[in-house]
Amino acid sequence: MKIVESSKIKEKAYIEELPNGLTVIIIPKKNTKKKYIIWGTHFGSIDNRFIMPKTNEEVFIPDGVAHFLEHKMFEQPNGTNSLDTLMALGIDANAYTTNDHTAYLFECTNHFEEGLNELMDYVQHPYFTDENVEKEKGIIGQEINMYDDDPSWKLYMNAMNCMYKENPIKIDTAGTIESISKITPDVLYKCYNTFYHPSNMTMVVCGDFEPENLIEEIKKRLLPKENQGEIKRIYPPKEEKINKQSETAQMEVSIPIFMLGFKDIENNNEERVKKHIAIEILLNMIIGKSSKLYAKFYQEGLLLTEPGFDYEFSNEYAHILISGTSKDPKKIEQGILETIKQMKEKGLEQEHFERIRRKIYGDYVVEYNSVGDIARMFLADAIKGVQTFDYIEQFETVTKEYAEEILKSIFKEENEILSIIEPIKN
Amino acid sequence: MNYQKEQIKNALTLHQINTNGYKTNLYAVFLATPLKKENVTLDALLTAVLRRGTNNLPTQEQISQKLEMMYGASFDCGVEKTGDNHIMKFYLETLGEEFLPQPEKLVEESINILLDIILNPLVENGAFKPEYVEGEKKNLKQIIEAKIDNKNKYSYDRCIEEMFKNKPYGLYKYGYIEDLEKITPEELYKYYQNLIQTCKIDIFCSGIINNSNIKEIVSKNENIQKLQERKPEYIVNNETTEAKEKQEPKVVEESMQVTQGKLVLGLDINSTEENSRFIASVYNAILGGGANSKLFQNVREKQSLAYTANSGYIRAKNSIFIRCGIEIQNYQKALNTIKDQLEDMKNGNFTEEDIQNSKELILSTIEGINEEQDTEITYYYGQELADRFVSIEEYANKIKEVTKEQIVNLAKTVNINTIYFLKD
Repeated sequence: MKIVESSKIKEKAYIEELPNGLTVIIIPKKNTKKKYIIWGTHFGSIDNRFIMPKTNEEVFIPDGVAHFLEHKMFEQPNGTNSLDTLMALGIDANAYTTNDHTAYLFECTNHFEEGLNELMDYVQHPYFTDENVEKEKGIIGQEINMYDDDPSWKLYMNAMNCMYKENPIKIDTAGTIESISKITPDVLYKCYNTFYHPSNMTMVVCGDFEPENLIEEIKKRLLPKENQGEIKRIYPPKEEKINKQSETAQMEVSIPIFMLGFKDIENNNEERVKKHIAIEILLNMIIGKSSKLYAKFYQEGLLLTEPGFDYEFSNEYAHILISGTSKDPKKIEQGILETIKQMKEKGLEQEHFERIRRKIYGDYVVEYNSVGDIARMFLADAIKGVQTFDYIEQFETVTKEYAEEILKSIFKEENEILSIIEPIKN
Repeated sequence: MNYQKEQIKNALTLHQINTNGYKTNLYAVFLATPLKKENVTLDALLTAVLRRGTNNLPTQEQISQKLEMMYGASFDCGVEKTGDNHIMKFYLETLGEEFLPQPEKLVEESINILLDIILNPLVENGAFKPEYVEGEKKNLKQIIEAKIDNKNKYSYDRCIEEMFKNKPYGLYKYGYIEDLEKITPEELYKYYQNLIQTCKIDIFCSGIINNSNIKEIVSKNENIQKLQERKPEYIVNNETTEAKEKQEPKVVEESMQVTQGKLVLGLDINSTEENSRFIASVYNAILGGGANSKLFQNVREKQSLAYTANSGYIRAKNSIFIRCGIEIQNYQKALNTIKDQLEDMKNGNFTEEDIQNSKELILSTIEGINEEQDTEITYYYGQELADRFVSIEEYANKIKEVTKEQIVNLAKTVNINTIYFLKD
């Protein structure tokens, strides 16, 4: 077992790759009663075209299959539902689907072993019939309607549409009523057999555990499976330019909401963490709580709270997102672009840079408060091929000069987009 | 027990929670005052103005810079309704001293900054700074107008408003635009001066704090020393104080541009027996607490009528709210199914297994209380306001003792008060 450590925050992670290809990561936490386990497969809404390793057959699936599959995994041949079984034990169980992975999880204080039995049983036993697939279409249809009413989801989807012409990140995670109507048990089994192979999965556990014992417990519950070759995923070619600069839609909101983005084209694997840290420092310097620009917007009543930031990246896409609520999003855009221009010309202020770096350190450490946050973070990072402690360990290597380089190479005006949702005009 | 409380002054209580499971220390100060139509807007505006600046750190930029230097300490504030009280909440979270890249003293600095923001606000010419008040009035106006944005939350708030019409709990926590517009910086400051000498003040500290002398830091703080002794005006709410009258359900329908309908039912529990809250918790969990609940199983799973179907128990008002997201044309069908579940509860149509499952669900929530700092603080503060102290262990035991007979008896006192439906 490989052990990685972060001395600053006094945490360790035990990592083991089992012979069948499954990666298990255990982060022991003393002084906590809560236990959290999450089992993820590297299969998300963007994986809509691939070659099955066993048959070499190329498969092109309807939008929303990964999410549909997630819903259906809980159903058992004997008519029970694993979610209910876990809840009956007082275990808080759930599952979710993102752009690049699907995860099954539970959190508990007691009955961890029974929970582990159930989790490892249902994830390894798919059961799809014509009947149960049809029934699910009604439930997921309701979920899709709920998303359609959600202005922030629409805002994000429109931002993706500005950023990319043809990138699978534009696919709605749940699909559409039309796309899910084409889903059959056969499609689900094909996806299950390809992506739910241990070599395409990662399990993360966090809580008060002895790692050696826990690994044995996990091994005991794994079903034997033939080895499988690499899954070839087919994506459209990368686009150098943005699709369009802006998109505005009207929905039932009282004040416009906006999402401003910068498309990142280079996506160098080696420096991902360092770059990510630099971007977070820069975003805080540009429009964070203590920035001059935020103070100005706040005073003018253009921003009520500091905007949210995010840097989303995978092998297929990478972009910076800044989102918030403002009665005049165009003015926010102007202000941000002007500030970036000035920062590029004058360079970053040393004192400001240092202060924000301290803040970012605090932000990373706070993530280690809850077993759930830790486990989800390790899984999401593992799917991207990132080692989570690197954020704490590498933060000192991000210098002002490096951040200035990143500012010049990524925060480019020609790669900037703006998505707005404004109130319905009567 | 890792929790202790002591009086610093009359109506000023210090609560300490010693715990070593976190990387952070959390400090919270709560001001409690009765919910009144004429004050709710003032309370909400005041909370927002206080965070703008102190006599020591006169701008928000300076406050933020100070917090960033403290490794990104985070400050947050807001207003909440708890029973018939309006609570102004102020939080500061910092890293625990042992997780800093180099040794520094953060505990005392944290407490002093938090108290500075609340008790030493920037005052110019006997009033709050007009620019801050005007700015926050505009912001608050936007927040009040944004009430409609989140349809789930909106329909829930609307149901509460209808159910407690002309009563304190029916008030909107952010207040009302017609009241907001009239407030001046002088009036707000006058309101503040009176409030701070009459409200109930509770200070919470949670984290690895046993080596810091918190009591001494707080007692010696000059802003605390300036506070007068007071007889606090606040309202005690618990199951014994909430008597109800039976009445015909009120039906309210509203239209907006939505594709999914939101159905919210407000239920009265007409039982004022001491400790009936434990029975009500189990009742609520069986009815709509989780994936095994009657609502989830019957409204969502068996009939595919809804994507969400659950219920929540508001102890301070002895009420339960059922919330469903449904297809608009399924309104009657969903409502009938919900009513059937309420009848089932009255008739004892649930099994020992249902009771057991529900208890497990509640017990795991109870065990989770001291796994999150703000949850633990909220738990103890709830006890403080209800004037009922039950330790976390006792709470779990009381839940285990609840019997089917008690649940059925309680179920018989449950009536639908309000049916609210948001449609297209």
